[in-house]
Amino acid sequence: MKTHRRRFLKTAASLGAGAWAWRPSWGAPPAEKFRTALIGCGWWGMNILRDAVAAGRSKVVGLCDVYGQALEVSADEVNDLCGDQPRKYRDYRELLAKEKPQVVIIATPDHWHALPAIAAVEAGAHVFVEKPTSHTVQESRAMLNASKAAGRVMQVGLHRRIGPHHREAMDFLRSGKVGKIGMVRLFVAGRGGAETPVAHAKPPLGMDWDAWCGPAPMRPFNPRMHPGGWRNFLDYANGTLGDWGVHWLDQVMWWTDEKHPRRIYSTGGRPVSGPAVANDKEATSDAPDTQVAVFEFESFTATWEHRRYADNPTERHGVGAYFYGTRGVLHIGWRDGWTFYPVEKGVPQAHGAPRFDNEKDGHNNPPLWRDFIDAIDTKRKPVADIEAAHRSSILPMLGMISYKVGRSIQWDGVKEQIVGDPAANALLRRDYRAPWQYPKS
Amino acid sequence: MNLRRTPHLLLRCLRTWMAAGAATLAGLFAAEDWPHYLGPRHDGVSIETNRVDRWAGAAPAVSWRAQVGLGFSAVSIAQGRLLTAGHRAGRDIVWCLDAATGKPVWQRDYPAELGDKFYDGGTGATPTVEGDRVYVLSRWGDVLCLGAADGKVHWQRQLAKQEDARVPGWGWNGSPLVLGRLLLLNVGAAGWALDKATGKTVWKSADGEAGYSTPQPITWHGQPRVVFSSENAYTAVNPQTGAAVWSIRWLTRYGVNAARALVRGDEVFVSSGYSKGAALFRVGEGGAEEVWRQRQFRNQFSSALLLDGHLYGVDGDNDARAKLKCVDWKTGEVQWEAELGFGSLTAAGDRLIVLTAAGELVMAAAAPKSFQPVARAKVLEGRCWTMPVLSQGRLYCRNAAGELVCLDLRRGQ
Repeated sequence: MKTHRRRFLKTAASLGAGAWAWRPSWGAPPAEKFRTALIGCGWWGMNILRDAVAAGRSKVVGLCDVYGQALEVSADEVNDLCGDQPRKYRDYRELLAKEKPQVVIIATPDHWHALPAIAAVEAGAHVFVEKPTSHTVQESRAMLNASKAAGRVMQVGLHRRIGPHHREAMDFLRSGKVGKIGMVRLFVAGRGGAETPVAHAKPPLGMDWDAWCGPAPMRPFNPRMHPGGWRNFLDYANGTLGDWGVHWLDQVMWWTDEKHPRRIYSTGGRPVSGPAVANDKEATSDAPDTQVAVFEFESFTATWEHRRYADNPTERHGVGAYFYGTRGVLHIGWRDGWTFYPVEKGVPQAHGAPRFDNEKDGHNNPPLWRDFIDAIDTKRKPVADIEAAHRSSILPMLGMISYKVGRSIQWDGVKEQIVGDPAANALLRRDYRAPWQYPKS
Repeated sequence: MNLRRTPHLLLRCLRTWMAAGAATLAGLFAAEDWPHYLGPRHDGVSIETNRVDRWAGAAPAVSWRAQVGLGFSAVSIAQGRLLTAGHRAGRDIVWCLDAATGKPVWQRDYPAELGDKFYDGGTGATPTVEGDRVYVLSRWGDVLCLGAADGKVHWQRQLAKQEDARVPGWGWNGSPLVLGRLLLLNVGAAGWALDKATGKTVWKSADGEAGYSTPQPITWHGQPRVVFSSENAYTAVNPQTGAAVWSIRWLTRYGVNAARALVRGDEVFVSSGYSKGAALFRVGEGGAEEVWRQRQFRNQFSSALLLDGHLYGVDGDNDARAKLKCVDWKTGEVQWEAELGFGSLTAAGDRLIVLTAAGELVMAAAAPKSFQPVARAKVLEGRCWTMPVLSQGRLYCRNAAGELVCLDLRRGQ
């Protein structure tokens, strides 16, 4: 275990240096441009594709979306950015068959990650898929297995593994200056209030709503779901824990030697936003506005908490991770960088400012993309490889299973089974809506 | 007033009148009503140049404050009355206030969703006043014709439920336009016309997702035309028939074409946010030919103003990184930018009046050489996205929460 961790760290560190040093060289012959396709042409998908275009190693050959407007807008923008004229597809299977892309970006909602990701690696493409890996645990496992079997790189959009202030903070944590860590607290808070139901409506013109729902349950279109609102509908995603929690749980998994928690408990609800409504006329979202999740590891405990109201005015930080050690508390945040609060008098606070490649959206996707390309070139694992990302991504999913069944679950992380609780265990997967088939892992 | 400025101002005013084709000489001390969104000439520019420099040294005097409910509707001013709208507890409220005192004259409400999709929600469009009638379009398709004197409902329609019109993602936000006997709405692919007397449909465009701009009346080759935005185009139509005269393909993410098109001669300027940018087209027999296009002037909600051959507007989506910019109409080149964050603006002659999203009122010269702020004053808290309105010497500003403040520019230093 120990050796493995050291090896992993060493690899990660050297990869990081490689990624920073990478830049196009004028003297060298032009590097190969990968035939690149984007599946899911919304806000985030285009963010990734823009970074791909900027990195200079992609020729954009195909775009796929079930919403024609998103497809058209994105095709226009690609053409403006680099002159490429990608062909437009409504069905990812047709895109893969006709364009034979070497690199596929997947930025669909969570419920639509697994099938195209697996199909893409099986068709020989390397995949950059957005976080979390999937919607249910066994989809994620199937993605990992498929990428291994096909020998293709699968990078997951956990850009906080490469963001400079995260790396600095992680170096600080590993230097021992925080002491022995016994607990990690992860959190996000925002503002909000009661949620009123919104009437169902016609889907936007040119959106194939049946295809949008795809393998997930078909629900009436509701304006709250699109764009982006699906994050808070549990048929399609895992709420704030799935969306935000995965980034911070991933920081924990990046830091620890351990591979999985052994027990998980989560509770919460919608005390402020009100009961979830879903009838034939109107709907609210259904994800919890309040949630606490406890992840019990062998050598420490990690907790997650979120509130979508009240903000966090009693604390300096509104989002992030606190690592509690014998020598102090390390906070890793977002726009507030990282800060170390020592327990001993006379020891100075330490702080690192955030540095974003994309200041507007506050992320470090560009170096994650360059790392992905470098991993393909040099046939190595990327920094947010599917294997590591799988271990992080399933934690929110397990938290949501505990939340749904209302009891703690015991996790056998080797067999990836919930022990002694068949009802909870059944939620590691779900039946897909016909004709789609749940992927085999 | 600084006397040395007078000839210059006169010149400006004359130019404004000439551009507007106004025959009357109202004089420098002109005051005018602002009966609908973007004002009497549909250009967002006031002729009340005599008022604006008075608060240069200090914050303008607050005449009154009122709470009108959640939303982004601007105000309309006619015959001493102010019309606006806001949302409260499941209902939209149309307010008629005394413009001088802020005291309610009447109010009319109807059930409406809050519609807080990624923002505060509440009302979007501004009530339009014409003669003794007020016309209202709600985000969800309610069209109301109210008596201006008493708020009595003369007729009422529901375009989403009764007519199956397609509600765009954030509801309809363009304000109603009265043209002759017609009430024109930015509903459908390129507009919808009702008989303003009865509310009956005169014509409607094809099923489509409307944009969020207010129908813009223009004169095109000597004929009255109206420009509507949809999710993917700006289209000029014959208001009598609804027939399209020209259409410019303009695709914006989420279909948010919210700023109005600006037309000068046969040139059409369009701009939108979400990294889209701006372009100038020359529209001729063979369609629209692109003169220039750039991505540095992205008008997300608030329309740019065209003053003396230059565009002034807010570039960027609703956050602190947005900037006020001046852009050359002919070339699309950015002349200057100012770090004011997001906001909206109106103008009085050659003075820009910007209300920043943070509630700061900034007056600046509309000069292409550089950003020249003249005065600044914090007038509101909270989120301010709504265009300020200057009418009869009073400046009206509101925030999303519905706090409306009337600043009296007649009582300056």
